[in-house]
Amino acid sequence: MRRRPGIGGLQKAAAARDQYRLLGENVAKLRTDMMKEQLATFKSQLEEFARKHKNDIRKNPAFRAQFHEMCAKVGVDPLASNKGFWAELLGIGDFYYELGVQIIEVCMLTRSLNGGLISLQELSSHLRQRRKKDREAVTEDDCLRAISKLKVLGSGFEVITIGKKKLVRSVPTELNKDHNQILELAQGQGFVTVEQVRRRLSWASGRVIDALETLLEEGLAMIDNGIKDGKCQYWFPCVSSVYSFVGSDT
Amino acid sequence: MASESRIGSDGLFNAAEVTTSGRPVLRRNEVECFLLSSVDLDSEDDPPRFASLRSGNLILTTHRLIWIPSSQPNASSSLPSSSSSSLPLAAVTHIFSHKKSIKSMFHSPRIRFQAESVVVTIVFRGKGDFDGRAWEEDEKSESEASSGSGAGTVAQGLYGNDGTVRMVGLAGILRKEQEQWESTDKSLQDAFQDLNALMSKAKEMVSLAEKMRQKLLSAPSSQNGGGDDEEMGSKEEMQQWMLSVGIISPVTKESAGALYHQELSRQLADFVRIPLEQAGGMISLTDMYYHFNRARGTELISPDDLWQACNLWEKFDVPVMLRKFDSGVKVIQNKSHSDEEVMSRIRTLVTKTETLRTGVTASDAALTLKIAPAMAKEHLLSAETKGLLSRDMSPDGLRFYFNLFPEIDPTDLHLVKGFGTYGEWVKATSLLSV
Repeated sequence: MRRRPGIGGLQKAAAARDQYRLLGENVAKLRTDMMKEQLATFKSQLEEFARKHKNDIRKNPAFRAQFHEMCAKVGVDPLASNKGFWAELLGIGDFYYELGVQIIEVCMLTRSLNGGLISLQELSSHLRQRRKKDREAVTEDDCLRAISKLKVLGSGFEVITIGKKKLVRSVPTELNKDHNQILELAQGQGFVTVEQVRRRLSWASGRVIDALETLLEEGLAMIDNGIKDGKCQYWFPCVSSVYSFVGSDT
Repeated sequence: MASESRIGSDGLFNAAEVTTSGRPVLRRNEVECFLLSSVDLDSEDDPPRFASLRSGNLILTTHRLIWIPSSQPNASSSLPSSSSSSLPLAAVTHIFSHKKSIKSMFHSPRIRFQAESVVVTIVFRGKGDFDGRAWEEDEKSESEASSGSGAGTVAQGLYGNDGTVRMVGLAGILRKEQEQWESTDKSLQDAFQDLNALMSKAKEMVSLAEKMRQKLLSAPSSQNGGGDDEEMGSKEEMQQWMLSVGIISPVTKESAGALYHQELSRQLADFVRIPLEQAGGMISLTDMYYHFNRARGTELISPDDLWQACNLWEKFDVPVMLRKFDSGVKVIQNKSHSDEEVMSRIRTLVTKTETLRTGVTASDAALTLKIAPAMAKEHLLSAETKGLLSRDMSPDGLRFYFNLFPEIDPTDLHLVKGFGTYGEWVKATSLLSV
């Protein structure tokens, strides 16, 4: 439009700006409405899906794993919130959050024995004992997902892979590379000696002793120096294949 | 588990595990199809190839034929005790067809089958009305199914003379189960198809949500008063929608998060009061998650929900706050909780004569200060950072002592002071004192 000088021109320009702004807001509102509509459609589609397959998700771990993979690909997190559609309609929220609570419980109970590091196998068997009454099977994949959600709570919940085993950490103690290597070595017999570590990993004995002492302090290792030939054995409860069942079952 | 002794010298039968209440232990994927009581298993050959099993329950499963004695073996009786046995259906090679004759009308119904060159007769002595034919057909179909023949043969056994599907007796039950399995299979296929369709819709939602989020972030937050409220409302709505779809959006300075989280935040602030008192003023976020969800029972909250809700506390006027330690541990504490107070309590603890000598571990501190051991460790570490304590790492573990270094005169290192805490320490550790 033609620019007119003077006050009239200014007023007109101001009016034009207002009009553009209103238009912009309207467009925004349209988009919001469209969004609302899309959301409603999505919700009903999800409801339909839930009506047909809610049971499948709960009963079939393979299907459940596939479901999670696809969600990850798309970029949604079905476990993000209890108020999300996924949790509400499919009911998988409670499954995983309850699993989280049980994992915390098991880790707390076994902490005095293993210092806060427990093998995934042992954790799964403890969980299965607790969940005997429930019909739903819990796979390792489910445990991993529940643990990844617990990470945000800041107590150091994490899954680390040492050698062939997966270990679940539930304390904030960080393990460095040296410690990991020792743990891997310990998987063979359940224990290591200073000699063994020095030989197999070609470290200086100072480095070996340092690492072993730290692990001892943190409660992850136990020392046995009653062996006849005088060598100390450092045992690691978390990698040994001996299951220790805690007596009381709440 | 009850006894598992073998029976039969030729090892035809395997021992069957039973629970203490006498029910058979089924293997994985094994489904029990039918149960009949008062059944004998006899050997027709002469001399008998195996000891007769008298008066027991016969169970037909998808994999085996299990026989369990009805009465427990009497320890004092002189009769040989029989125990539970099972026969894999795959071992059944041939089922003799039921010959109707005058004689058979007066006998108890019986079925003969051959397994591993031994002929076994099942005699049904029960009083009830019994459909011998159906049982036979089903055994045939089960043994064929478990030895892996095609579906055709199975169907054959289920069809009556006139070609209609019989829904009577065991055959009917089996057929129903099979149909169920087939439909589950099909429904899983459907499920995957539906899953794909759902996911493509979800993808659309995600990209739409991203666009909206961009718009929200770019919109200037300070506008005229009236616009503000509306925008705030729509921002909240946006958060709620994104939450519903499953996109985690962090609580930012401007936004107050979804309404759900705001409500949860207030609820948590109320709930947390009691556990906090019990734990001595500080509780880790993990413990909080545990307690809150346990108290809830159903409709549990996710860890992310908890985290978001706690983060919102700084916007509201609640007496609790979230705090993160250097080690990464996140805790909830009372706003009124002061580090100073804890420091002074630690100081008192560590300047006692006993502890001047032996130092204090995390567990000691936990007991004295009446807080959780993990929290105690955090406090000791932060006291060390402040210079109140110094650590001693030994094979005995990690101990903390009062930090005497500030009291040592740097210009005269060897001067042993007789006053202040230094003096106290000297008195406490001197070998001359009792």
